[in-house]
Amino acid sequence: MLETDLKVCSRCIYDERVASISFDSNGICNYCHQIDHLSKLYSTGSPVGEKKWHEIVDKIKSAGRGKKYDCIVGVSGGTDSSFMVYLAKKAGLRPLAVHYDNTWNSAIATQNIEKVLRALDVDLYTHVVNNKESDDIFRSFFYAGVAEIEASTDLALAEVMYRAAAKFKVKYVLEGHSFITEGITPVGRNYFDGRYIKSIHRRFGTMKIKSYPLMTFFRFLWWTTIIRVRKIRPFWYIDYDKEKARAFLEKKYDWQYYGGHHLENRMTAFFHGIYAPQKFGMDFRNNTLSALVRLGKLSREKAWSLYNTPPKAEDGLVSYFKKRLDLSDEKYEEIMNASPKNWTEYPTYKKRFELLRPMFLILAKANLVPMSFYLKYCFPSTAPS
Amino acid sequence: MLRTRIIPALLLKNESLVKTVGFGKFTYVGDPANTVRIFNELAVDELLFLDISASREKRGPNLKVLRDIADECFMPLGYGGGIKTFGDAKAVFDIGFEKVAVNFSCFENLHLVNELSKHFGSQAVIASIDVKATLFGRKKVYTLGGKKNTRKDPVNWARELEDLGAGEILLTSIDHEGTWNGFDYDLVKRVAGAVSIPVIAHGGAGHADHINKVVISSNASAVALGSMVVFQKKGMGVLVNFPNIKINE
Amino acid sequence: MITIVDYGMGNLGSLKNMFKRIGVNVLVESDPNKLAIADKLILPGVGSFDAAMSRINNSSGLREILEQKANVEKVPILGVCLGMQLLTLSSEEGELPGLGWIPAQTTRFPIKGGLKVPHMGWNVALPSNENKLFVGIVREPRYYFVHSYLVKVEDPEHSLMQTHHGVDFDSAIGRDNIYGVQFHPEKSHRFGKQILKNFTDL
Repeated sequence: MLETDLKVCSRCIYDERVASISFDSNGICNYCHQIDHLSKLYSTGSPVGEKKWHEIVDKIKSAGRGKKYDCIVGVSGGTDSSFMVYLAKKAGLRPLAVHYDNTWNSAIATQNIEKVLRALDVDLYTHVVNNKESDDIFRSFFYAGVAEIEASTDLALAEVMYRAAAKFKVKYVLEGHSFITEGITPVGRNYFDGRYIKSIHRRFGTMKIKSYPLMTFFRFLWWTTIIRVRKIRPFWYIDYDKEKARAFLEKKYDWQYYGGHHLENRMTAFFHGIYAPQKFGMDFRNNTLSALVRLGKLSREKAWSLYNTPPKAEDGLVSYFKKRLDLSDEKYEEIMNASPKNWTEYPTYKKRFELLRPMFLILAKANLVPMSFYLKYCFPSTAPS
Repeated sequence: MLRTRIIPALLLKNESLVKTVGFGKFTYVGDPANTVRIFNELAVDELLFLDISASREKRGPNLKVLRDIADECFMPLGYGGGIKTFGDAKAVFDIGFEKVAVNFSCFENLHLVNELSKHFGSQAVIASIDVKATLFGRKKVYTLGGKKNTRKDPVNWARELEDLGAGEILLTSIDHEGTWNGFDYDLVKRVAGAVSIPVIAHGGAGHADHINKVVISSNASAVALGSMVVFQKKGMGVLVNFPNIKINE
Repeated sequence: MITIVDYGMGNLGSLKNMFKRIGVNVLVESDPNKLAIADKLILPGVGSFDAAMSRINNSSGLREILEQKANVEKVPILGVCLGMQLLTLSSEEGELPGLGWIPAQTTRFPIKGGLKVPHMGWNVALPSNENKLFVGIVREPRYYFVHSYLVKVEDPEHSLMQTHHGVDFDSAIGRDNIYGVQFHPEKSHRFGKQILKNFTDL
């Protein structure tokens, strides 16, 4: 039994505060069920799943014949993407590594990318945004009072991967997402798309967007239906042990761990360690902790106790954030203490995605959009609590 | 034994780091202070920052950006770009930079080099010489980002600047810049042979062999790297790094 | 409290920053009264010998308090770059006498055989005598040098480290509580950091 008045899933540690959560008669949450459903659908970690992965590898190889690269791997310097590059090479693929640099990378991230790609002899394609533009967009989100301060980075990476794929005529993108080790991010509270980013920036930004790669709805459809780039998530099919992967990378490539999920980038570190917990009461560590509990690697009690200790942040992270975005101490405190705003208060493409649900289901089944996209974007979300 | 210095030369355009080819087209490289942190971790010997638009835009050094950079650095720092007066240079030194580089200002005010050298010491003053081949193939000194032909001969100009008290020459071949094809070995050799102060070869490095050649055969005392420290490899993406170069001296 | 002497010449910002990285709070002071209460002093210096000595001599009360701290109270003092040259008796660069706290001479590098002067860049320093200031240093540490004049001590016991650039010279010197390093520890990465850390532990 966990020491709390909150209702907590009996299998993982998602509690009632998680958006759009529900519990069945055994106290198991809908997110556990969703992961079970996906595991079944993709036969994750089973010989059937392995076979599916090999079939995909063969498809990638034949589609890539005569071209310089046959697949794209998005890299960040983190565990999942670094291991993914190794996996691709091991499977006999010819990957092109792609990176979107929001100019807040830690030195560790850059060095990790360099070491792994050099050792595996993999080429790198990057898009570096103008640092002032990047900061202008981050500042807009901060001023807007919404949670999705990381949205611009996530969407930009997706857009850049599509651009690289189109440039080199590559039909497959390999993503390091694993619903087993990360869980599915709950729907509802957080949301982003190209229109959302544009409208926030239009309201609060001060400089024109020139170098930032914005994925508009049109571009999204173009990449998925005309250029037809398929997104594959190998860890949905095969077994993936994150801790083992980390140890392997450290030993083989002198890769370095940066201390937490996604903490290789300092804006991400600020978001996860300070912004989301302090302003929105959102602590995303329950995603990875719940994953560990479901895998039997951590007890519920230990996970819950870890979850309830405040996240640690790099020394000087807040002052770096203020300095970069040119915020006085007063302005920073004012915005951090102001009541949070919600994405529903700004123009987005959400309604459009919901209206086009049948089309996106077809695209998801064909791997042209991730199934998780379909589940998150094409259904109406419950109002935020 | 004094090690041959290998110096990343980073280009500033307004408040961003960029990389150019032949002083023309540019790519964004990143945020200056954040990038410096990477070089700190890589323990590079020295860093040189050159503001490529300052003189053309008729402005001085951006002290705010330089302060952010100096706060992060634990290695010697040099800065060039828009330094016109003694005051400009002093402001840069006060922030914590070891050296300043002057280029365009030397043509407007010949005494600036002398003034700076007298007060701050010649080791703090780098005379920056950009060279391009004219239509007729003659190598001339250009300034203002390669846009203005000064009609000066690089060797004579280097001698003049040495006499005025410059402590080092940063010799950049505009034609070779960003090409990865090697330095202008002949140019470096002629200039290095004409002065007794160190010459930093800049423009064209693509491989460790190029660096060895320009040091051993052309007598460069140091080498400045641009593309090699900023891109993963020729034609590929931006990835700040510092190659492990052994000079076979 | 370690205090950096601000007499108008020297890379104070970088020194302060490196101490901050080590986790040590230092003060930067020009006021003799504030310097009087320091536990340890750093004497920085970038520029010319005479310019530095005349500033020290002509700033009201400064020379006096430095002499007091160095020779009466005998607090640890570290001279950096030009600051180390100021500790000597005199320099060929200038006319004025130095502080003279360590019997040594500062002379110009010989311009012979194509030797490039100033001595500028990373060079190796090898220990000549054991000292607490160099505890934990790796076998062949390299530091960043930038100077046109070199120091040679009269008493070999006062040489702590030696470096070669055309000729051998003393790259670090020390006598009782007085120390000097010719190189820039605040610009020498982890090698320099170690020295500054040792100084704080003295």
